[in-house]
Amino acid sequence: MIEGVGTPSEQFIASVREALGRKAGPPERPYARMVEERASVEERAEATMERLSANRRANVDELARVASLRGWVVHRAEGVEDAVGYVYQLAQKLETRRVVRSVEDVFGDVPLDDALTSLGATVHVMARGDESAGSFDPADADLGVTGVDYAIAETGTAVILPRRGVSRVTSLLPPVHVALVKPSQTLEGLDDLYLLRRLAYLRDGVDAGSYMNFITGPSRTADIEQTLVIGAHGPRETHMVILDWGL
Amino acid sequence: MSEVKTQEFRRASAKVLANAKLQSYLGRSMGTFDGARAEAIEEISPERWEELRQQGREIKRHTLDNLDYYLEMLQERVTANGGHVHFAKDAAEARAIVGQIAQTRGLKLAIKSKSMVSEEMGLNPFLESIGTEPVETDLGEYIIQLAEETPFHIIAPAMHKSKEEVSELFGEKIGRPNLQDIEAMAGAAREVLREKLVSADMGITGANFLVAETGTVTLITNEGNGRFCTSVPRVLVSITGMEKVVPSMEDLATFIRLLPRAATGQRISSYVTHVYGPKRPEDEDGPEEYHLIIVDNGRSKLLADPDLREALYCIRCGACLNTCPVYRKVGGHSYGWVYPGPIGAVVSPVLVGLERSKDLPNASSLCGACKDVCPIKINIPHMLLKLRSQISEGSPTSSTKASFVDRITSKGYRRLMSSPRLLGMARTLGLLAQWPFSRGSFIRRMPIPPFSRWTRTRDMPALAPKSFRQVWKERLEEEGR
Repeated sequence: MIEGVGTPSEQFIASVREALGRKAGPPERPYARMVEERASVEERAEATMERLSANRRANVDELARVASLRGWVVHRAEGVEDAVGYVYQLAQKLETRRVVRSVEDVFGDVPLDDALTSLGATVHVMARGDESAGSFDPADADLGVTGVDYAIAETGTAVILPRRGVSRVTSLLPPVHVALVKPSQTLEGLDDLYLLRRLAYLRDGVDAGSYMNFITGPSRTADIEQTLVIGAHGPRETHMVILDWGL
Repeated sequence: MSEVKTQEFRRASAKVLANAKLQSYLGRSMGTFDGARAEAIEEISPERWEELRQQGREIKRHTLDNLDYYLEMLQERVTANGGHVHFAKDAAEARAIVGQIAQTRGLKLAIKSKSMVSEEMGLNPFLESIGTEPVETDLGEYIIQLAEETPFHIIAPAMHKSKEEVSELFGEKIGRPNLQDIEAMAGAAREVLREKLVSADMGITGANFLVAETGTVTLITNEGNGRFCTSVPRVLVSITGMEKVVPSMEDLATFIRLLPRAATGQRISSYVTHVYGPKRPEDEDGPEEYHLIIVDNGRSKLLADPDLREALYCIRCGACLNTCPVYRKVGGHSYGWVYPGPIGAVVSPVLVGLERSKDLPNASSLCGACKDVCPIKINIPHMLLKLRSQISEGSPTSSTKASFVDRITSKGYRRLMSSPRLLGMARTLGLLAQWPFSRGSFIRRMPIPPFSRWTRTRDMPALAPKSFRQVWKERLEEEGR
């Protein structure tokens, strides 16, 4: 690949070892987390899932509270019509012309396309092989709609993992992003998320995904005179629609 | 390596101290950061904060003590994920690796998300020299790139620039004159940069944390530029210091609770991006190629010194800068290299050489505020003392010697303080000798070296007419009566 430049890895690692005055091999005093058996990680994950399902109501409440503190506009939809109506009204208010959305199961539960089309907007899906994509440039969209894989109550965060039909830029390029969150996707804290993703990697390796994005509210900067400006390179407006029915 | 000016600390800081406008401005800005951090800790509760700091410290200690093992694991996992891992012992090697990647693949436009290591390497001028345009995309970094300066602060690189200065800069450099308010300036930068962000063929990022077990690079950002860099270009390169490794993904929970709170007072930043490698066949988009460059550039010197190793625990939050009474006065550029403030005063001398950085470890009152605010409880004052002693007595890595004056002064001081009789005599002599110079309870100017050098930048408390022992004796006698 890249030859003849840099230090060979064995040599680099040997020099680090020498600086430490250490012998090769695993740590003398093992780190409990790193010597844990897979079965034990799985047990902890199972216990986590049980706890989450028992506390779902409280976790969704906390998610809604923290997410709005972190800059999301949070809407707890009571039914399909309510959820579709919210996005419809938002698109109307923004005078949306072009919507881009991902291809995910959640759009089966919340069919947005007809409502948005009735406003005169065009709906594009960001997926390979989709005819409607055509010459469409997602950078031209004024609204992006996605589902999420998880939502973390502790931080008010939407977590998006890669999969077919989910582009990285649908939640990044348009100035407004709507995330549809199912209550069953709610986690209590960062520990839950990282435990589950760790287990996924231990099971599947890189098949667990090539990236993981946390999104918490709008993009922001305070780089000039420490003055907060909402809307830097990412969306300036983020909406979290919690599909708050059929818990 | 980027230009080293650590030897000019005195001159550079005197200039900043004389700049009244910058002085009033610095105090305010630092206060904002410091206040936000304190509020965030109050919110999570000081007890919980203490627990997290301890956790963070223990994870870092364990990882650094076994760094070779975790680097090996990281390399293996990133490779298994489809990425390429490169090791660079110094800045020149790191530049050569980036250069090779850019040239063999014909990459012309590199969008960069904030990376301190790339500052260490002087990467931007190098990229320009090989015909790859580097564009800083973090607003603060972009401003200082336009101004052709170096970062003033670890997390707010352009904090020393007033909005008037930014406005002028944008008028001159990007053809956006007369912008009045900050929102308009951010908007202009957004527009100009958007074109670059969507058309770049190379993405360059730093790394906040590297997870050994899963081969994951973690980036913590607020603007969203980090997401562009990891999503759009066909080749992605992350450049990182070798100390950023943590063992497990589960360790990230601790650090994501610590870093944004300590840096900006946020519960979490707007974006946390985790990169495992290039895109997979089922992904809709993402980089086709992924490279991770792991850089030493002097870090193994810190690693080898048990007294200084904990400087590598630093997660670059900037809290020690915001709280430091010296940084708050002299600002970031005075430190003369990439890392300013208390942690910079430890790291820079070791990385660029103690001989030309003698003033940095001395630019501290050892008040301990940096240690108190550090999310990893790094004992910075202790390391500053160690470096001072290495400067005056030499060390395995440095051949510096104490000056003649320093040596006889400390020898004489030791003699004096171990003999009550000598101390008493010296006091009497001192009272006589100081008489022509003291005004009130201070000596403000002394005419002859080396004393004149001391009083040039500070006042010396004069000897009190009565010693403490005398006052104490009199008190006891009075009370006994």
